[in-house]
Amino acid sequence: MRGTKKLVFMALLAAISLVVWVIEAQIPAPIPVPGVKLGLASVVTLTAMALLGRKEALAVLLVRIVLAGVFAGSFSAILFSLAGGLLSWLVMALTLGLFPENRLWVVSVFGAIAHNAGQLLAAMLVTKTTALIAYAPALLCAAIVTGAFTGAAAQALQKPLRGHIR
Amino acid sequence: MKRKTLFWIVLFAVLAAASAGMYLLRGGAGGTVAAVYVDGELRDRIDLSAAVIPYELTVETEYGYNTLRVSHGAVEVAEADCDEQVCVHQGAIRDSLVPIVCLPHRLVIQIEEPEP
Repeated sequence: MRGTKKLVFMALLAAISLVVWVIEAQIPAPIPVPGVKLGLASVVTLTAMALLGRKEALAVLLVRIVLAGVFAGSFSAILFSLAGGLLSWLVMALTLGLFPENRLWVVSVFGAIAHNAGQLLAAMLVTKTTALIAYAPALLCAAIVTGAFTGAAAQALQKPLRGHIR
Repeated sequence: MKRKTLFWIVLFAVLAAASAGMYLLRGGAGGTVAAVYVDGELRDRIDLSAAVIPYELTVETEYGYNTLRVSHGAVEVAEADCDEQVCVHQGAIRDSLVPIVCLPHRLVIQIEEPEP
């Protein structure tokens, strides 16, 4: 896929991830640990990465983060999204080649762990306190569960979408 | 199921269970002094053992306010004007292991470990 068709597909992915993000933000967190959420928008990032490529996934991710920050109306939200999103993108970009398509969910779990680690580090920098490290085990556990779920979703999208992106 | 897939499932399941266990089954080091930090600097120290009758206390920062509800041995954020309300939903803390955090206001409430 190339040219205008690819651009339109990427714009579509960015729009989908933004809508998914906005809807997810309305759902209250199920566990009383700050920062834990399903991360449905990462389904789109991983789908973009596996189908189109790493650079394309980064573009979709950045468009989503900036627009989501505008919708949420806070600059610090963009900062935290970037801390988690970019680290997650980096780890997934590095591990994507190591796993076949039927183990794409493993890549997603690594990405989710990196995402939560990035956000925890950003939170520690912002509050200038190391006490937040107490949340690390909870965030690791949450990352594995949510990462496996979103990864399985992205994996299921591969076959149906691959036929359409020639 | 392929053996490699099974390997990753088992590895992540063990890791998730271990980290959940670490978080949930942590030993309770109950302290009696809650320290309030803003921007990493100590703003206030609250003696929780002295709070026989629960009272409220507002911490004003340049970013906004958080109203703390202090009761005997516990502290929680009752109200805050941040847009996320994560600190309010977290509820009360009673031990030193997990702090309350309000990221928009750069506020951390940590119960200090008792002196040995």
